Formats: sequence, C-alpha cells, structure tokens
Amino acid sequence: MTGKPIALVQGTLDMLILKTLALEPLHGYGIAQRIDQISRGAFQVNPGSLFPAFRRLERSGLIDAEWRATENNRRAKYYFLTSLGRKKLSTETKEWGRQIAAITRILEAES
Amino acid sequence: MAFLKQIAKGLKALLQRRREDAELDEELQSYVDAAVAEKMNAGATREDARRAARLEMGSADAVKEEVRSVSWETTIDTLWQDARFAIRMLRKNPGFTAIAVLTLALGIGANTAIFSVVNAVLLRPLPYPNSDRVMMVFLQDPSLGLDRGDYGDADFLALRQQQRSFDGVAAFSSPDNGFALTGEQAPEEIPGTAVTDAFFDVLGAKPLVGRTFLPGEDRPGQPPSVVVSDRFWREHLHADPAAVGKAITLGGTSHAIVGVMPASFHFGSNDNDQVWPILQLRAPVQRPPFFLTVLGRLKPGVSATEASAEASHIATGVAEQYPRSNKVTALAVPMKEVLVGSSRPALLVMLGAVGLVLLIAVVNVANLQVARSAARQREMAIRGALGAGQWRLVRQLLTESVLLAVIGGALGLAVAHWGLGAIVALSPGVVPRMDEISVDAAVLLYTLGIAMVTGILFGLTPAFRLRARRIGDSLKQSGKGSPETSGSSLLHNLLVISEFSLALILLIGAGLLIRSLSRLEAVSPGFDPGQVLTMRVPLPPAQYKKASQVTSFYQQLLDDMESKPGVRAAGITMSLPPNLLELENPFHMEGQSYEPGKATYLAEEIPVSQDYFRALGVPLVAGRFFDDSDRDPSRHSLVINQTMARRYFAGKDAVGQRVQTGDANPKSDWYTIVGVAGDVKYEGLDAKEQATMYVAYSDDGWCPWFVKSMSLVVRTTANPAEIASAVRADVAGLDSTVPVTDVVTMDQLLSKSVSGPRFRTVLLGTFAGLALVLASIGIYGVLAYSVARRTHEIGVRMALGAQRGQVLWFIMSQGARLALIGVVIGVVASLALTRLMASLLFGVSATDPLTFIGVAALLFAVALLACCVPALRAMRVDPVVALRYE
Repeated sequence: MTGKPIALVQGTLDMLILKTLALEPLHGYGIAQRIDQISRGAFQVNPGSLFPAFRRLERSGLIDAEWRATENNRRAKYYFLTSLGRKKLSTETKEWGRQIAAITRILEAES
Repeated sequence: MAFLKQIAKGLKALLQRRREDAELDEELQSYVDAAVAEKMNAGATREDARRAARLEMGSADAVKEEVRSVSWETTIDTLWQDARFAIRMLRKNPGFTAIAVLTLALGIGANTAIFSVVNAVLLRPLPYPNSDRVMMVFLQDPSLGLDRGDYGDADFLALRQQQRSFDGVAAFSSPDNGFALTGEQAPEEIPGTAVTDAFFDVLGAKPLVGRTFLPGEDRPGQPPSVVVSDRFWREHLHADPAAVGKAITLGGTSHAIVGVMPASFHFGSNDNDQVWPILQLRAPVQRPPFFLTVLGRLKPGVSATEASAEASHIATGVAEQYPRSNKVTALAVPMKEVLVGSSRPALLVMLGAVGLVLLIAVVNVANLQVARSAARQREMAIRGALGAGQWRLVRQLLTESVLLAVIGGALGLAVAHWGLGAIVALSPGVVPRMDEISVDAAVLLYTLGIAMVTGILFGLTPAFRLRARRIGDSLKQSGKGSPETSGSSLLHNLLVISEFSLALILLIGAGLLIRSLSRLEAVSPGFDPGQVLTMRVPLPPAQYKKASQVTSFYQQLLDDMESKPGVRAAGITMSLPPNLLELENPFHMEGQSYEPGKATYLAEEIPVSQDYFRALGVPLVAGRFFDDSDRDPSRHSLVINQTMARRYFAGKDAVGQRVQTGDANPKSDWYTIVGVAGDVKYEGLDAKEQATMYVAYSDDGWCPWFVKSMSLVVRTTANPAEIASAVRADVAGLDSTVPVTDVVTMDQLLSKSVSGPRFRTVLLGTFAGLALVLASIGIYGVLAYSVARRTHEIGVRMALGAQRGQVLWFIMSQGARLALIGVVIGVVASLALTRLMASLLFGVSATDPLTFIGVAALLFAVALLACCVPALRAMRVDPVVALRYE
C-alpha cells in the first residue's frame, strides 16, 4: 500500500467500473478487489458507493447483469459491459487522456 | 431510446419492488460472503473475517438506501409513502381535517363555479368555425351619440355590393315580438330573426336537415322561405324530415321551410330564436330608417380596423347619395365582444371576489396548520434527529397540505356544481351564453391548479417556520404549555390581519352593490306600478294592412276591456316601461332654424291610446292627455314629458307649441303639443331622464306602419289571471289569428328589470358573507389557541392579583388590535379597488363613506364577538388549576 487511499474524483468510479468489466464479467466484490489491486490500493471503493454506481450504470444501459455461479459455487450477480458501455468506455478513456494531458501541461508549465 | 429503457426499468422496479429488494439483499450478502471467503483464504479465522467484512460493508441498510436513491422511481415511492403517512395524520385529526377540507372546498368551489362562467362566457370562442373572424358591423353617428347604431337597408345593400374585406356579409332584423305563427293551431308568437341569404354562411353553420338559404333567395319577388330550429321542428313539425318543403304561415305570409338547424345552433343573445325567415330587402328609397344589424366574416389577413375603414368609406358614399341624411362612420366589432363585452366587468369583479375568498380560506387553513405544527414540533424534531433531511421534512408537510387541498378541491367540484345550478337559476337574461356553461377540461385543470397552488401556499407557511427552527431547541422544550414563541404569534397575527383586510374588501364591495340595488329599486318609474297587468297583442302584418283595420281592432279591444268589471282603465302603447323602448325620433321646434343633413334633437316617440296614461298611472303636469278629438288621424297632437318641456321649452309654456318629428323635411306635418305628462322610464330604471313624445296611435303618420305590435296595459282591481283570460277570450272573439303573449304584471316587469344588479348583489353578497364567516372563524381560532397556550401565564397573572376584568380586556384588546389593523389596511385597499367596479354602481360613489364606515364597523363588531368566547374562557381560568397545568 502506498500512502492513504485517494478519494475518487467525481464520476471516475463509473469509468473504473467500466474498465474493469471490459476485461471480463465480474461480480460486485470482484470488481472492488480488481480496482483495489490494479490501483495498488490507491483507490479503495466501499460498497456504499459501489452499489449505487452499479444501479446507475445499469439504468443508463451501460452495463447489464445476470446471476451466475461463482468459482466456489455460490450464486452471485455478474455485471458485464453492453455494447453501449463499451462505446462509452472508449470515448471516456480518450476524453480522460486529453484532460490528463492538458492538466499535466498546465502543472508542468508552472514549474 | 435509452431514456425509454430507463423509464421501463424504473416502472418494472416500482411494480416489483419486493423482488428488486430481495435481489439487492442477496447481492449484498454475496458480496459479504465473497469478502469473508477471500479473507479466510488470506489466513484469517472465520470470526475475524466476518467482522472485517462487515466493517468494510458498513450498514447494509445505508447502502440499500443509497442504491435506491439513484433511481427516479424512488421519488414516487417516497411520495406515496408521504401520502400514506399524510392520510394517517389527517385521519388522526378528524376535526382539523374536516374544518380544513370544508374551508378549502368552499373556497375552491366558489372559484371553480365562477371560473366555469368566465370560461364559458368570456374565454371560449363562439360556437362557430373560426368565430374570431365573425364581426358585427355598426354605424356610428357622433352627432346623435350613437356608438353602435343599426344599419339601414341603403347602407347594407351598398356594403354588400362594394366591400372587399369580408368573405360575406348578412343583415338581420329581430323584432321583439317574433313572428305570429297561424294555421291549424291557436295563433302563437314564435321568437325569430329575419335574415338575408348569407346569414348562415357567414356564421359557418350547417343545417341538420335540408339546406340554408341560397344566394339571391333574399331578392324581392322570390317566394318567401324559412329555416327553422330543431326545437320548432320537434314541437311543431313532429321532427318529420319531410317537413322540409312544406309551408308555414308567419306574420300572415306563407313561408316554405327549406331547412332545420341542429339543436346546438344558437345565435348570440337571440338564443331563443326558433325561426329564421328570409329577409327580402327592396331597393331603398330613403335613408334612414336604420333597423338592421350587419354580420360579416372577415377575410383571412384582414383586420377589423381595415374592415371598419372600408365600411366607413362605403357609408360616406351612401350619405352623399342621400344628401338629407347624416354622415356616419362604420365600425366592425368581433361578435363575441358585442355579445359578452358588457358582462365582462361584473364577471371579472366576481372572479376577483372569489379569489379573495380563496385567499381567506388559505389563510385560515395556514393558521390551523401553524397551530398544529407547533404541536408537532417534537415529531419533526425526532424525525430530524433520526436522519430525515430538512427538505424531506418540508416535503412531508407539503405533501400533507397538497393532499388536503386536493381533497378540498374534489369536494369543491361538488360545491361548484351546486353553485353553478344556483347561478344559472339566478341569471336568466342577465349573462349571455349561460347555456354553454359546462365543466370542461379547462375548468378541471383550473380547479386542480388552484388546489395545488393553494396546498403549496398554506403548506409553506408552517414549513418555513420549521426551517427556521433548530432541531435541538425543539427537543429540549417540554412541548406542553411552553410559552408561544414570538415568531409563531407574529405569523398568526399577520395571517389574521390579512384575513380581515381581505374580508373587508369583499364586504365593502358587496355593501356598495347592496346600496346601489336599493337606490335602483327606490327609483320611481314615473307611474303607479301597483295593480297593472301588461301583455302584448301583436297583429299579423299581412292581414292588417290598412289603418282602419288596425284601429278598429284595438279600439274594440280597449272598449271591451274598459267595460269589464274590475278594469279601471286600459290602454295600448308601442313602448313599455321600464325596459322596452322601440323607437327614438329626431325632432325640431317651430321657429328653430335647421340645416338639412344636420342632426337635430332626439326624443323617444311612442304611439299610445287615449287611456294609456290613466291605465299606467302617469301624472298630468300641464294641458291635457289625448281625448276623443285626437282619434282623428290628421289631428297631429302630441303629449310630451316634463323633461322635454324643461329641456326644450324652458321659460315658456310648452302646451300649444308645434314640432316636426322624423327626418328634417320642411313639408312634413306639424304636431301640436297638447299636454305635458310626468317622466316615465323606458330605458331602464338606471337611465337618465329622456325627452319623450307621445302621439295618438291612430295618427296617420304612424298607423298602420308602426302600430302592429302593441302592448296592452290594464289597470285592474281584479285578479290578474282572470283579466288575462278575459283578454284572451276577447281577442279570440275579435280575430282568432291574433296571439296574446307576454302576460305579466308591472311589478314583475320592474323586478325583472333589476335582475342584473340583483344577480350581482346576491352573488357578491354571498361571497362576502362567506368571507366574513371564514375571517371570524380565523380570529376565533387564533385567540382560542393563544388563550390555551397562555393558560399558565394567565394563571400566574391572576395569582399575582390581576382582576378577571383585566384578563378579559387583555385578551379582547389583543383580538381587537388585530381586527383594527386588518380593517384599516382593508379600507385603504378598498379605496383603491372599488374603483374597478364603478361601472356596476348606481347612485353610490365607489368610495361611499357611509358604506365604508358601516361595513368597517360591522366587521369590527363581528371580530369582537368572535373574540368574546376565548376571552371569557380566559377570564374563567382558575389560577390554581392553571399553575398546576405545567
């Protein structure tokens, strides 16, 4: 763990979830774990924000869900990307890249 | 697409809420299970893993709440929860609920009723296609003070030939008497309007059976035809489609029925019309007379102003053709404006009045709400402490009050239905288009709208108070018996004051109308109305073409009547007071110079029989009434009224003077004034005195052309019904084709003539009474509440030596102060507002001091009375009980 967990920028959680699901369908805990792992503990997402985000994405048709058996034979709700979600992720990623680049330029110009 | 999916998902979730909930539960559980499994994999004991997982998760309920708040359907869900809770709260307080709902129902009901009238009369278009383009065209003659004067045949024919502004123009003439229907049955008078060929086309009205008139059907020489109403078709023609093509005899002339109009067809204020015979206009030989009303349908894109300008231009041309006639201009006015324009001020005043009543009702309920919300402070504080947000609490309160208002509104619809029945029953002939009143979508929307606004208005008052209050403070208060906070009593006081100002405005308005009505009813019509019976005996024009036929019929009738026991005098007249003036005529005095074409003076001119004055009870001022010598058709005697004598023969004896009447023409006959009679009102009791000339009906200038539809006036000591049947029998004996109609006593006529003002007075009086009751309940409630809250304080005061009288005074003065401030504000507001109803007043100024002072005193007295009960209760407070009350 490198330092304290960072508070997520508003709206980025949705993007992280979409990115996580782009690899494979996952259940809620799996998604939380994956985000935790990939960000090396920088982002810790708690259920209180995770589940509302699932509902939000589901409602806007970016993800869908189905009940499946897990690897250790339990029932869990697996989320997967819809084609709309895939499109959204690619545009969001590009947009994010441009924003980061711009912000970085500004910050570096300062020094 | 995505949006629709959202809605579909939301709706599904709403319908399957339990399943959705269970699914979320299961999902959260599987999350915890997975976390536990993961942690045990990492080497934790089962117990530790569980605790850690639960800690990570936090409150499952909180998570669920968060998830729910994402979706829109939750809002509906909470609304539904709020509504159910509100219903429970309202049922727990049946007293409060009943009073609030009833108050609101009265307020909203009154508004719905008046709005239904306004909607039907003022807002809805006339029932013709593109009715906004249907115009009425009038001639204006400023020299005669004619603003919307009739057209003449010369002017109409010229207009029809030359105009380019209208798709079509039509003229009509509606005799007051209608048309005598003769044939197999007893003669009957059928109300109707004679119309030119394009009449129905201009209105865009289609027949039910047959056809309307063809172009050119109104040319003289064409066989006369008639279009009849659905009602006439049913009552007289057995609703037989084959009746079209048959003939009926109207006014002595056979008319072929060409069509039947549907029951839905009404024409303006003549909505009793049952027959529309064709009006055939001959080539004019002179101008005036003016006896036609003109209708036109504007072409698209042409404005009323442009049409008026063109019609004026045409009228100028006509005036040049007839050099002795007056120059006039023309004015096109939308037909709806002509029809309803005069009722607009009264209706708007009524709408304003019910608006005030509703405001008072709202204030009353707001008052109750404020008192109740004080008692509910702890409830709100606890809900707040348990995590309800401020907005959530306000929303709860608003839901409650909107629910109250909507229930009130639903009941209000019932009130409105009942009220409309009363209004329609009160208003025959007073307000046009009353038959079109219905509760349509606009009315329902309006009711719903005012209910919602009302609910939000009186819901916000306590809600704002709630916002201002700190939750902790409320919890700390013991709740019971705590002294009233200054904030809430200020709010109460403001509400009571506004209630009284509003009520005062209404009461002053009603007071002014009541004073006007009593002034109007006190106006002397100029004769003795007791024991006078009137009826009309119109002669079918086709059979009574010669003067001798007319005079012999009427003279025989009068002689027969005067010989009957119980009849003191009988006379006939063309115009009947107080409201039926048939004709005004220009005149000029002998020796007065005049130029042809220039307007002279105008006087009411009325052909009457010898004994008319005695029958009506008109006093003789100078000279004599008509006598036997005036039966000579060429005698040319005149009796004038006092006003004419004073106005035009000032300083000399009018008797013996000579005048010429009608159009200025040096060759016309001179009439000699033989007597001066008292003034009689022929244009309504509220009209100013007018110059009047009476001429003997047998005069050869009048008989037979103008002496066809005379009213019979009988002064009798006998039962009016007996006299009426005696007249009927006598008329039937003289000529079985002559009808007798409109049998009515003079008292009834006088009473009917003020039905408009009476209607307005009753209506506004009802609303003002309602306002007074509501305002009294309001001040009573506030004082009673305040006394109850201050029982402890009063007890202390009394224990410390305050006398009962002082306590009484203390409470009374509190109420009196509020009422007084309200009354003062109300007086000031009324001074500004009553000017709006000046056109409805008669003989009273809009700021009549007597009304203002009287009404203010009345309201103040009622307020004191309402304060008495709580004040007496306060006075009887037992200090021992009060102190223990804590």
